[in-house]
Amino acid sequence: MRLGRFIDTERCIGCRACVAACMNENFYIPGNPWIFVIEEEIGKFPYVKRRFVPMNCMHCDEPACKKACDYVGAFAISKNEQGVVIIDYEKCMGCRYCVTSCPYGVLQYIEELNTLFSEKTPYDEIPYENRHPVHRKKINTVEKCTFCWHRIEKAVKDGKTSEIGVNPEYTPACDIVCPVGARVFGDLDDPNSEVSKRILSKSAKRIKKHFGTKPKIYYTIVEGGE
Amino acid sequence: MKKVTRRDFLKLAGVLASASVINVDLFAEAFRKEKNALETSVEYFKSTCKMCVNFCGINVKTENGVLRAIYPDEARRDYYNIGNCPKGISGIWNTYNPYRVKVPLKRRNPNKGINEDPQWEEISWEEALKEVAGRIAQIKSDDPRKIIWYHGHGKYLLHDGWMKAFASAIGTPNVVHRTTVCEGAKHVADEITWGYHEFLPDLEYTNYLKNMGGNYAEADQWARWLDHATLDAKERGMKLVVVEPRLSNIGAKADEWVPIRPGKDVLFLLAMARVLIDEGYIDKNFLITYTNAPYLIKGDGTLAKDNSGNPLVWDIDINGPVPYDNATNIALEGSFNDTVYANGEVKTAFQVFKDYLTTENISPEAVAEECGLSAEQIRRIAIEFGQSASIGSTINLDGKTLRYRPVAIYTFRGLVAKEYGTQTWRAGLIVMMLVGALDAVGGVLLHEPGKSSEYMNPSSCEYPPSRIDLKKSAFFPHATHDVAQQALFTVPEPSKYGINYTPEMQIFFATNRPFSTSKAELQLEGLKNTYNVAIEISMSETAWFADIVLPDKTYLEAYGYYGGRWVPHARHHTLHYPIVNTYNIPYQNIEILVELAKRAGFLTGSGGFLDKINAEYKFSNPNLDINKTDYTAEQLMDVLWRNKTGQSIDEGKKKGFGGEKFVTVDERYLKGVEAKFKGAGKAKIHFYCDELVGTKNVLLTKLNNVKEVFKEWYEVTDGELNSLIETKLSPLPRKDHAYPVSYRKSTNYPYYLITFKRMYRNQSGYCNINPVLNQVAHDADTNHIWINPETANALSIKDGDAVIIESRVGELEGIAKLTEGIRPDTVAVSYHYGQWSGGYPDWAKKGTWINKILEYHPDMLSGMNSFNDTKVIIRKKQGGEE
Repeated sequence: MRLGRFIDTERCIGCRACVAACMNENFYIPGNPWIFVIEEEIGKFPYVKRRFVPMNCMHCDEPACKKACDYVGAFAISKNEQGVVIIDYEKCMGCRYCVTSCPYGVLQYIEELNTLFSEKTPYDEIPYENRHPVHRKKINTVEKCTFCWHRIEKAVKDGKTSEIGVNPEYTPACDIVCPVGARVFGDLDDPNSEVSKRILSKSAKRIKKHFGTKPKIYYTIVEGGE
Repeated sequence: MKKVTRRDFLKLAGVLASASVINVDLFAEAFRKEKNALETSVEYFKSTCKMCVNFCGINVKTENGVLRAIYPDEARRDYYNIGNCPKGISGIWNTYNPYRVKVPLKRRNPNKGINEDPQWEEISWEEALKEVAGRIAQIKSDDPRKIIWYHGHGKYLLHDGWMKAFASAIGTPNVVHRTTVCEGAKHVADEITWGYHEFLPDLEYTNYLKNMGGNYAEADQWARWLDHATLDAKERGMKLVVVEPRLSNIGAKADEWVPIRPGKDVLFLLAMARVLIDEGYIDKNFLITYTNAPYLIKGDGTLAKDNSGNPLVWDIDINGPVPYDNATNIALEGSFNDTVYANGEVKTAFQVFKDYLTTENISPEAVAEECGLSAEQIRRIAIEFGQSASIGSTINLDGKTLRYRPVAIYTFRGLVAKEYGTQTWRAGLIVMMLVGALDAVGGVLLHEPGKSSEYMNPSSCEYPPSRIDLKKSAFFPHATHDVAQQALFTVPEPSKYGINYTPEMQIFFATNRPFSTSKAELQLEGLKNTYNVAIEISMSETAWFADIVLPDKTYLEAYGYYGGRWVPHARHHTLHYPIVNTYNIPYQNIEILVELAKRAGFLTGSGGFLDKINAEYKFSNPNLDINKTDYTAEQLMDVLWRNKTGQSIDEGKKKGFGGEKFVTVDERYLKGVEAKFKGAGKAKIHFYCDELVGTKNVLLTKLNNVKEVFKEWYEVTDGELNSLIETKLSPLPRKDHAYPVSYRKSTNYPYYLITFKRMYRNQSGYCNINPVLNQVAHDADTNHIWINPETANALSIKDGDAVIIESRVGELEGIAKLTEGIRPDTVAVSYHYGQWSGGYPDWAKKGTWINKILEYHPDMLSGMNSFNDTKVIIRKKQGGEE
């Protein structure tokens, strides 16, 4: 299984529902979004287009961040058998070489464990021991998108990996909230998965492929890809 | 640790490419080993979002009773929303929010103003309720009209029947909602044309959609259905043409963006009509069978009638005038001399329109320069529209042969929030009538056409006005929707408008209306000398002017109902209910009303609040017990839900919606104009709004009462008043409607200013204190002055520069955003930023309060606020300039 995503920029309306969903889902630290949306304006008035490109960790087959991390000897970044790249906060030393090595600029350094308000809410008071390890964030570590590993992991535990990308419970939060169906998640190794079919039918491309990291998020109509 | 630069790393990448795959789930392992892990109880609640007016289905997740996330409700996909927007997802943070009002507050500083500290004192609920109820009781016994109730978003939290019943029990006619600051003129254009309001493109079949001012990839009613349905239609092959001065996010999805000059839509539409007529793209059968286009019009603009008052048409077979119902071969075009009924020289309404287009030389070539577009583009779009309409064709669905016209024009605030909003949208309706697209498969589906036929009659032009917002009065004869922005202009000087009472008390439920309309600072003057109450979740600018603030619960803490947004294929009702009670607030909105009514002595008995609720909703099974004194919100909502859906509230809470159904082909296409307007013996759609001629004649008899206000609003002299009325109440849209007051008078202000909604706000309330909504995008927490680079360059303005924007009303500062997505002669600013309330943190007060400098020239027909008519000067802010 090699999990990946298709983002249809022809459908994306730039609403940032994916960003907001990620913030709720993954205990967002202000200033450290795991998803952001690039707005791109193309052309000159009156022949102008605007395009929205949601960005998050590409969960590369050959992740540059992991290589950097391994090189410095921290070994905090792993890629599991579902192809999900995850940072272990317990091992991360905060050197940030991964941040500088990522061609996509999607890793975030945790300088402070700030919350949305200076006053803690019941959400903020959810104890660490009740949070999934990917949500037990630490100062002086690096964080990023996990493809909502806590949801994928549940599919693995429940023996329902075939429902990843189909059943909302086993699908990343950003994908299930999209109001226009611009995001599809699933197994890239399965030619019959919806994500594989959409990538094929839309001739979707990956961004910055020339860095050689083999990213696993595919976009429509983005120049400079494959 | 060895230092590794990014360049070194990339060189090493190949060497290190053999990174091993980790098969062990380290985190799961760690989690299993966690000895101190607490038991986690996860629950999901199917409910309804009330962060805006789309009423989307949501699935709220709690962990150990704590709000954890909000997802879309999968079960709602077939009926409305397939996902949620960032407002809906971030609703948690309006509930978990330390800036909420948590206890009742009483003002100690009697002076009210932007810079006045209210000196809030926390008081008990009992003290607060007793004081407010005491005021209500006192004024009610004197003159209940002196109490004004306002709800904006409050209508959508609860449904407005409750509040109307409350006002009715008090005895005041003054219940003011917000429609005229959003899309009221659109509704009124629909109502005077086809007898009710709301319509949607039939996107399952539409092949050509022209959107003129709908901003539904950001924030509009129906946004969360229109967005995905439009994209689905595009993938099916529908062409999307978006006509708007600012490239909105739905414009960004268009096949063609048509950046028309602000206010000139009526010219574009009239030129389209000319092309359709000249090129023969006319559905004569539709015009004759369903509309009053063949009715004969006399020289004075009124309908030619027989001796019994029946409208006449010209029968070609007998070459004479006959009542419509008796005609066998009706002429759509022509000028005639009616000697039978002595109506003299007459023309068909269609001929009147056609002659107007011809004599005024309205064509793509003639209007192109004014529209800021090429004639070729306007003509091409008109022809594409006409061709795509497939005039004369039918389609067979479910065994029924139906009119098939797969073209639609959609609109919303962008086109209608203007001095001539009603007339401009009338032009859109006429274009669709010309090709027969109303209620046709693939056309525009109308919501309950003919439901309120009184809308299609002349107005009585009430004077003196009974209502403080002047609704339906001689000032706004066809304002069937509340004139939200006018009320606070009337309050300080009621006699100016002929109101014979002086308001003493204003109650605001979940609305920050004064903040978000034209001349906003002047709006606030209307709050200074009355006793004000705000029922709110946060300290809005309106609440800042209150004497008592009563905290409300959010939609995640409270019960609330609304009819779900209808879509062409489905209907449903929506419900939300308490999931948490974060700050232990004892009452929700409707319960506050019950407590106030109880203490003021009008809860029970005949004519009491409960009795009025029964009457307002026409409750039948069950009714409220009008002598019961302790109704809870759950009990009240249970009665409403049972009446609406036939189910108990407990059933409703399982799904968050109910009463859902898919409509049949019959309901979808044959219960509207087919049933109400087709053929003999039926009323006709108003191609020609003869009721406006009737209204004009009534209004002219009362002109002396209103002329001073008209002279102020429309900047005319006594000698220009008759011409003004003629233009405003024209039975057909005219090119004059492209020239609002501010365009004619602001000769030294070169740039058009338009305002718009953004995804991250709902009007001007509560979203500004939601930190997620402020952080989902790099610029979500503030607004900018959108300027075309060509213009900016000429003014030496760079992206991010501080600029001064000045209208005839005033000036303010903003930050320039340079974008090719706007016309060079236009600037655009979203209108829900720049909050200043002392109850907000600094991060919630960013941006430009553009409403301060918007001119006020309301649409006389509908009362619609003139949001998009102002002209301005722009200049770079100089060093040292305050």
